[in-house]
Amino acid sequence: MAAAIETKQLTKTYKSKSRNLTVVDKLDLHVEEGEIFGFLGPNGAGKTTTIKMLLSIIEATSGEGYILGKELGDFDVHKLISYVPERPYYYEYMTGLEILKFYGSLFGISDVAHMQNLLERVGLADARNTNKTINQYSKGMQQRIGLAQALLNDPKLLFLDEPTAGLDPIAHREIRDLILSFRKEGRTVFISSHELSEVELICDRVAIINHGVIVAQGKLTDLLAGGRVEILVEKLDRGVFSDMKIGDGNIHDTPAGVLFDVPEGSDVNAIIDGARAKGGQVVSVVPRKKRLEDLFVEAVRNK
Amino acid sequence: MRPVIAIAKATVGEAIRRRVLLIILFIAILLLAVAPLLGVLSARQEQTVLTGFVLGIVQLSSAVIAITLTVYMLPNEVERRTIYTILSKPVQRWQFLIGKYLGAVAALAIMMGLMAVVSVLEFGLFQQDWAKGISLLQAYGMFFIQMSLLASVAICLSTFVAPLVNFFLTGGIYLIGTLGYAFFDSFNKNPNAPVLGKGMAFIVSSILPNFASYNVQNPLINPETTIQNPTMYAVNAVLYGLFYIMIMLIIGMLMFDRKEV
Ligand SMILES: Nc1ncnc2c1ncn2[C@@H]1O[C@H](COP(=O)(O)OP(=O)(O)O)[C@@H](O)[C@H]1O
Ligand SMILES: [Mg+2]
Repeated sequence: MAAAIETKQLTKTYKSKSRNLTVVDKLDLHVEEGEIFGFLGPNGAGKTTTIKMLLSIIEATSGEGYILGKELGDFDVHKLISYVPERPYYYEYMTGLEILKFYGSLFGISDVAHMQNLLERVGLADARNTNKTINQYSKGMQQRIGLAQALLNDPKLLFLDEPTAGLDPIAHREIRDLILSFRKEGRTVFISSHELSEVELICDRVAIINHGVIVAQGKLTDLLAGGRVEILVEKLDRGVFSDMKIGDGNIHDTPAGVLFDVPEGSDVNAIIDGARAKGGQVVSVVPRKKRLEDLFVEAVRNK
Repeated sequence: MRPVIAIAKATVGEAIRRRVLLIILFIAILLLAVAPLLGVLSARQEQTVLTGFVLGIVQLSSAVIAITLTVYMLPNEVERRTIYTILSKPVQRWQFLIGKYLGAVAALAIMMGLMAVVSVLEFGLFQQDWAKGISLLQAYGMFFIQMSLLASVAICLSTFVAPLVNFFLTGGIYLIGTLGYAFFDSFNKNPNAPVLGKGMAFIVSSILPNFASYNVQNPLINPETTIQNPTMYAVNAVLYGLFYIMIMLIIGMLMFDRKEV
């Protein structure tokens, strides 16, 4: 399958009188066509800067990049992609339809029925919204009109910078559902975010960036492999359990009982049998999935 | 061309809703309305004074509007990130800049048009002199070229200086180009002037836009000036303005193309 986005050693250095600040450092990104890709990192990590380079809004200092097979800077690519900036803002005196007409005219698109469909799709077509201007829109509505304008040109690839930042849970949910529907239509979606729980639910693959450097990249399922299983057993004496064989796991003596903390895939049955044989009573067996947050904190801290 | 027009239209839409501009416009129209009262205080020919005042008010407020409108235009686009959405579409940077400029000029035309209508009505209704009122339109045409030139200077500078600096810089250029141009020019042509001074004056008067040539119709500022061939004069002034605007926009486009936004 062709890559929607490919970068090699992409670097951005801001030069100022006092010092040079490298905010994106030798980035190697690979985004497949048709996937939702999460670009994660704390504030100031270099996410927006990367997106601006990919959109050719700013020029890379060094390295190369390809969007839908075309080298960065290729003007025609702009017909095939879309972008919703973080905390987007649109000309506030316009109504939703006027916004779509404005952005449509930049492509030479003037099909009003198409625009009405898009408004409907993002839930801004009902009568009480049609006369509202952007300055009467809530944050969630602004984000939705942003997605509507991003769909005008039927894009193959969408860049969404922090699409759910600052939204309430219901608006989150709506935006998330819309993004998932983009994938169903075969579009590639590149989402930057520092909110992991959002991304975790929808992304196929992620890259984690910190201080301009990628610290982890891959399939979410692979990155999150290596969960653990916790087995809590009561009525087990210290002298008895210390010689039990549990492989790579750890044994903790807690007030609630003895806690066997073992890697996912260990022989849990053997441990339970062993504990019961020594008079222990199994209270609970809990699988602990690795969460993106753990991975993130781990990756960011290791740097 | 389509993106340029779309961007210009959106720019007009924003400009005519900007509160600062509307306030300046409101004050200008208020002053125009009370201008006849000022004429009574003057011993000189009443209509000459009134004409001078009216033209002065229109010129000054148009200049303030032109500068205020343009110095924040690009910085605002960046700050609100609207420029990123636009540049992610098939829109070239020069198209964006030209669209913004044309929008500014169109908004200026609307606001100056309103002032023109008010002052023509004023002469027609209160002075019973419609011919005089209509004749002012020529002067306004010249002002419009002048303000378009001023706007092009401000847009050009806004691609590389901060808005507040730009505000005073453009304002300064306007003042010197209006009041000082004649001085530098005559100094330059004076055979007795020192060579170094002449050189400086030549540079200043060739680089600075000549705003003064658009003011000849104000009888208070230029009481003696008579123009032999008004049509030629107007054509020259318009061509000069267009040429200068083109230079400013080309410099602006080159700078803007390299700018990190
Ligand atoms: N034009 C600029 N000049 C200098 N530094 C910048 C510029 N734009 C962004 N930066 C710096 O680059 C770093 C990364 O910024 P950004 O890409 O916006 O981060 P993120 O989107 O991940 O929060 C930040 O430290 C920011 O201050
Ligand atoms: Mg950002």
